[in-house]
Amino acid sequence: MQVWVWRSENMFEVGRICVKIAGRDARKKCVVVEEIDNKFVFIDGETRRRKCNIAHLEPLNITVEIPSGADNETVVKALKQEGIVCDMKKESKKQPQPRPKKEKIKREKVVKEKKVATEKKEAIKK
Amino acid sequence: MRHVYVKTPGGRTTIHYKPRNPKTGRCPVTGEVLKGMPRVSANKRKNMPKTKKRPQRPFGGVLSSKAMRKLVKEEARALSQLE
Repeated sequence: MQVWVWRSENMFEVGRICVKIAGRDARKKCVVVEEIDNKFVFIDGETRRRKCNIAHLEPLNITVEIPSGADNETVVKALKQEGIVCDMKKESKKQPQPRPKKEKIKREKVVKEKKVATEKKEAIKK
Repeated sequence: MRHVYVKTPGGRTTIHYKPRNPKTGRCPVTGEVLKGMPRVSANKRKNMPKTKKRPQRPFGGVLSSKAMRKLVKEEARALSQLE
């Protein structure tokens, strides 16, 4: 029997250390950097820096003091004190460029006149 | 061998014999069919890139996502109980 428990907002406060349950970042530890919603939260740490559903996180007993919306440097420093070592993330210089739209060329359909078939039919009839 | 009916240029219908594809396997915990893995013989699997053969997450190709989530949850709860 499945029991759905509504997680209270106090659990996933800014600075709470969690373990990610789902996805390719599963089993990695992260910190709540910002609260977006009653369902979503912005995380950083050993995982990728992105928003996450609180259903995919398991909180631990540990909290860490960081300001809301902290950047990667402060998060890495704060986690080091707790014994969680993670690499600093490099800033990506590439910016996503919009793809150029391809123009569709409409070609007119060439209708071949069926002269040969009609001529043969007429010959057979005669 | 499975039968594949092929029409020849001469107009005859002949049978070509092809081997069947193997199954992917099931999760040992939940029993459901594992996803993200192609149903392909070992010979073809050898030349495929690693990322196309299993899902890229812990226990990918071994446990279903449901079973993996349960396991990781219990691990995390054991961690917090220790302290």
